[in-house]
Amino acid sequence: MTDKVMLTNRIVLRSIMPLFKVLHEEDKGPLKKLLSGFDGVIQLAVKDSDIGAYLEFKNGGLDVIQGIHPGPDIALLFKHAAGMNALFTGGIPVFGGLPKGVWKLPLLMRLVMLLLGLLILMPNVNPKNPAKRELKVKMIMYMITNALSQLNKGGDEDMAAWTLKQPDRIYQMSVDPDGPAAYLRVKAGKTKSGRGHYGRKAPFVHMRFNGIEGAYRVLAENKDIVTATADGDIRLEGSPEYAGNIGSFMMRIQDMLLPAKK
Amino acid sequence: MAEGMTWSVTDGDKLTQAEVYGEVLSQLGERYPDLVALTADLASSTKIGRFGKKFPERFFNVGIAENTMFGMAAGLAQAGLRPVVSTFAAFTALRSAEQVRTDICYQNLNVKIISTHAGISFGQAGSTHHCTEDLAVMRSFANMTVIVPADGIETGNAVVAAMEWPGPVYIRVGRGFEPPVNKTQDYGYAIGRAITMRDGRDVAIIACGVGVLQAMRAADVLDRQGLSARVINMHTIKPIDRDAIIKAVTDTRRIITVEEHNVMGGLGSAVAEVIVENGKACAFRKLGVPDCYSIVGYPEDLYHHYKFDADGIVETVGELMRLEIEEDEDWEDEA
Repeated sequence: MTDKVMLTNRIVLRSIMPLFKVLHEEDKGPLKKLLSGFDGVIQLAVKDSDIGAYLEFKNGGLDVIQGIHPGPDIALLFKHAAGMNALFTGGIPVFGGLPKGVWKLPLLMRLVMLLLGLLILMPNVNPKNPAKRELKVKMIMYMITNALSQLNKGGDEDMAAWTLKQPDRIYQMSVDPDGPAAYLRVKAGKTKSGRGHYGRKAPFVHMRFNGIEGAYRVLAENKDIVTATADGDIRLEGSPEYAGNIGSFMMRIQDMLLPAKK
Repeated sequence: MAEGMTWSVTDGDKLTQAEVYGEVLSQLGERYPDLVALTADLASSTKIGRFGKKFPERFFNVGIAENTMFGMAAGLAQAGLRPVVSTFAAFTALRSAEQVRTDICYQNLNVKIISTHAGISFGQAGSTHHCTEDLAVMRSFANMTVIVPADGIETGNAVVAAMEWPGPVYIRVGRGFEPPVNKTQDYGYAIGRAITMRDGRDVAIIACGVGVLQAMRAADVLDRQGLSARVINMHTIKPIDRDAIIKAVTDTRRIITVEEHNVMGGLGSAVAEVIVENGKACAFRKLGVPDCYSIVGYPEDLYHHYKFDADGIVETVGELMRLEIEEDEDWEDEA
């Protein structure tokens, strides 16, 4: 497997799969009801490897845990990392055999519901419901900031070089006036993504979106930053050079996750 | 030789703090008929003599008798006049500390004190004529307002503002060869309100007096190194602009103070008090003369020696950026 495939897989496991939890927490309808009082483990993994993450349903809650569970109720095994990536990036997944435990239909149904929920991230899915649009914005923000951090932790050379020379800096995204927010903290080669506003220091670069719709146009519909700035959808505060840098890395992540777009 | 010493007296005449305040005071003499000026045989050196030439009947040279001069100023203020006193900082803050405190500050009298040759700006005159303690002394006197202008233009603004500021005011200026920082008089100067000279998010350099220019030069160098430094001109040491300090801590978490003064008791201490009182954690360094009697030399060489010139500030920022300031060193992504 190429470095790019493995890096994409890292982002899939650590940046996208955790969004299942967001979906679950934010859901006010059938999903919540479906998962209420339900316990079980669903593993997604590359066959005969330690690459994977699992969903643990417990007491009505859901946790996404990295690694291999010793005894999952259902295990979706993929032939290779690229096969797993495809499931989350709009391609055709390549399984490494029949899923284990498929006869556990109630659990399988829940997995399918969650996977369908993740479709909201796809560029061609444009919900009309304002709550769903806000959810999409929030999930993209969480995913991007996390993926930027994973790009660094996964050893992307350009990202590593970019983070290495920086002192303690915060790259903040937020939706005005009090919408979703997420940040990336960078310090001398280390990175951490977080949700909400970083409270201990002012942002070095702050991407402020003008309401959910402004954010939606930029994050979900890929309106370019220059036009978005001119239209008032986004306001960039802080270093324009570094804002440009982080924008380039965001584009790189998009290309990794949506190769079909190219 | 360090920068700054190539300037001629002619250049200095256009730019210096002392020259500007002498001129401004002369103009204020017309606006305020109750303004009187006092000197202790230093009319020429401190530039207050310009006022004397224009208003000889309102100008008093007491001879080499500083204590008498401050006592006289207190009496003139009690009589309803608006006295302005000028002498070297060492004489004001050290020799006449008792008169300034008891005769003027204790009674909260409307006396404006302009002290020149402060800090180590009188470099070659020797350590006895240096004054690296005046800010500590003056800001500990109740009722006293303490101002350290960054350049000549700001000195002019400070003198004008002091005329309408109630109670005793101490304005500290250098020897008269300090390069300018401001390009115009109209930048919103007000006593007690710090001026953000340039914004930055990696570190905040809070400076006063000649430290402001050094901080600006350091910020240029840091910018080329990819570091974003905020420079704050904290021209008023008392009452200090608490909001500007707290904002700088909140925004940058790294603070450096720069002053031509002992690092004890002056700007750095005043800033530190605000930070501690507000419970804001940050990395912090005070640049200035360490707790010693300053050596003799050209001022610019001494600034370099004590590392509060641009080079020293850049070096200190480097140290500060490497410091771990967060207990929060958890680098696990939130998910």
